[in-house]
Amino acid sequence: MADQLFPVPPVKYGSLRVGGMTLEQSPFAETVSLGAFLGAGRDELVNRIHEMFGVILPEHPRAVHAADGRCTFLWNGPGQWLAIAVEGLGLLSRLREVCGDVCALTSQSDSRAILKLSGPNVREVASRLVPIDLHPRVFGKDHVASTLAGHIPVIIWQTEDAPTYLFLVFRSLAASLFHDFSVALNGLSYSETDSCV
Amino acid sequence: MRLTCPSCGSRGLEEFTYRGDASVRRPAADASEQAWVDYVYLRDNPCGRHQELWYHGAGCRSWLVVTRDTRTHEIFDVRNARDVALTERQTDAGQGEIA
Ligand SMILES: [Zn+2]
Repeated sequence: MADQLFPVPPVKYGSLRVGGMTLEQSPFAETVSLGAFLGAGRDELVNRIHEMFGVILPEHPRAVHAADGRCTFLWNGPGQWLAIAVEGLGLLSRLREVCGDVCALTSQSDSRAILKLSGPNVREVASRLVPIDLHPRVFGKDHVASTLAGHIPVIIWQTEDAPTYLFLVFRSLAASLFHDFSVALNGLSYSETDSCV
Repeated sequence: MRLTCPSCGSRGLEEFTYRGDASVRRPAADASEQAWVDYVYLRDNPCGRHQELWYHGAGCRSWLVVTRDTRTHEIFDVRNARDVALTERQTDAGQGEIA
């Protein structure tokens, strides 16, 4: 008998609460990358997605939500996007039907984990690791950016005005990123250290 | 030093990798040996403006053509290498300097 494979979460800790802020793993999402083929592929892809999902794929680093609210498209480079949906939607097969002939579709569900950072002061916490400007004047709700958190490549996506951030991170680096954020969170909070004194 | 990526905006140097002189062009297949030696091995070391390739590996993964002053690191221009190559192909000026 072959050994059975058991799914292991990318980060073994559940969630971390510091100073009213929460760092947690976002529930598993189906993720598919879309890369438009050369030539007319790009325009045709934009048309098909518009017809089927009711959104225009963004030309700039933004997130747009399908009209039915069940799927989101993130800009992921020129002519490239990431589609994200809750598990069980059958996102890849649905996209294959809609636009499989005009773009490269690859399942990325197993490649990335998603960490969610929410609560007061998370902009300051995120700014400790991410070198881009997160000021609300330039980075707001549904803005995304591919950048580095410390030395770890991430896609940062602000999902709420409050703000709340999602970090899409390569799965094998998720535990390191979780650790880095736990340090950043504790460095900012007074409560944890105060109570230790 | 910071570069303003056409897709991502102003980003720090740590997100980019230098990928060499952007002004060299591949000679014709039947070009002289000397032309190929120039293309493969020989590079100028300009003092001042230089056109160079940078790769935005930690961002949008675009190749960029950056015009930089090698003395001051002043950046004059950042363009998508893809656009530069397509423009060149259209104007059929593939052998010379980038306009
Ligand atoms: Zn970029």
